[in-house]
Amino acid sequence: MNIKVEVIGVSPPCPRCKKTEENAKKAAAKLEAEGIKVEIAKLDVTAKETISKYGVVATPAIAINGVVKIMGKELDAGVIERLLRKEL
Amino acid sequence: MRKSLLDKKRTLKTVLMLALVTFFIVMMIRAIVGAYTLTPTSTAEDLRGLPLWEIPLVYMWDYAQHGWVCLGFAFTVSGLFAEFIPKSFMLKYMSSGKPIAYVIAMLIAPLFCVCSCTMVPLFSGLILAGGGIGPALTFLLAAPANNLLADIVTVQVLGWQIALADIVAAGISAVVIGYVVSRTPWAKKFEQKFQKNQMQATSVELVKEPLDERLWSALKFGGYLAKRIIPAFVVGLVAVSYFQAFFPSELVQTYLTGTLGVVSAALLAGPLYTPTLIEVAIGKALVDLGMTPGATLAWLMGQPYDIPNSLTTSRIIGWKIVITYGILAFVAAVFSGLIYSLLIEIF
Repeated sequence: MNIKVEVIGVSPPCPRCKKTEENAKKAAAKLEAEGIKVEIAKLDVTAKETISKYGVVATPAIAINGVVKIMGKELDAGVIERLLRKEL
Repeated sequence: MRKSLLDKKRTLKTVLMLALVTFFIVMMIRAIVGAYTLTPTSTAEDLRGLPLWEIPLVYMWDYAQHGWVCLGFAFTVSGLFAEFIPKSFMLKYMSSGKPIAYVIAMLIAPLFCVCSCTMVPLFSGLILAGGGIGPALTFLLAAPANNLLADIVTVQVLGWQIALADIVAAGISAVVIGYVVSRTPWAKKFEQKFQKNQMQATSVELVKEPLDERLWSALKFGGYLAKRIIPAFVVGLVAVSYFQAFFPSELVQTYLTGTLGVVSAALLAGPLYTPTLIEVAIGKALVDLGMTPGATLAWLMGQPYDIPNSLTTSRIIGWKIVITYGILAFVAAVFSGLIYSLLIEIF
């Protein structure tokens, strides 16, 4: 089972985007310990590819398996972990 | 058994957070109803007699005594708005390219944009998504003036009349400027680079979260804003305290009154890079020294064309468009100031 996580933020990163990315990594590490593969990517909110994929989003946002789940706020590792587990 | 304990803990957390929110709302209403002043009451005479190092301390203590309710309320409510306003719905309309985009950009969007760190990305996002330069500019111009934090502080520090005038005047001029700029040949040429994107409806599917978590993240965001804004605010207050003590009021009374006052206030406010809250605080000091209401309005509206802001946006949309909207914003500030002065004379 593979899960793809995309953290959508600004570059250079704002503090909240940075925090969300760190927390996504923490959540991913937890799942990887159980043998689930999690792939994390960082997207720039103003990049053409991001916009054609997701439209305009408020940052930071998080997309899992190509679907934006939450936008416009910093997320705890626990919340991200729960979102990831839903995909299993 | 364990689950019910967990549930109880969550309920308790929710109740505590709601209590905090209610506390600030009640305190604020009490202050408004009781007409307590939430701004410093020190006058130049009080401050001038003190040793130099004591001036900012006295002023700040004065501010802290009155201002904590207002600031606490402002940060809490900003956090709540940022959390509970349905963002993806609004963004869809704002990037739709229809006339409604202007209305949303002016009225609602600024409510959840209290920090420039969300503003510029949204601005460029709107443009790149083909939403058109008009609504994007309206948003950029309205956001600093009409955001909740600035509004609450303006009401408390400068009074509701000038705050209302600022909201209305800034809102209208943001829409007009956005529209006018989008009609210019160079803006049209710029827009052609970005075709309208057809968004896939499936790619955004927001998850619903439980209330206690939403409240928590609302308060956390409020705290984050406080952490970012208060240090700048403190520096601003130190400056304002000296200003209030030593700035010659004759200068203010000569140059910041009448028609000349409106023009010079609009000119001064632009290049001076000041976060909105500090601008309000300096405005208060100037008003105490004799600045007229019309000039005050022009002063408050002078924000969109400050230099650092223009630098950032020019990287996205180019100098030509920035200069166009800068000049228009200056004209709008002067115009609004003059109309406001007239209105005050009549009533």
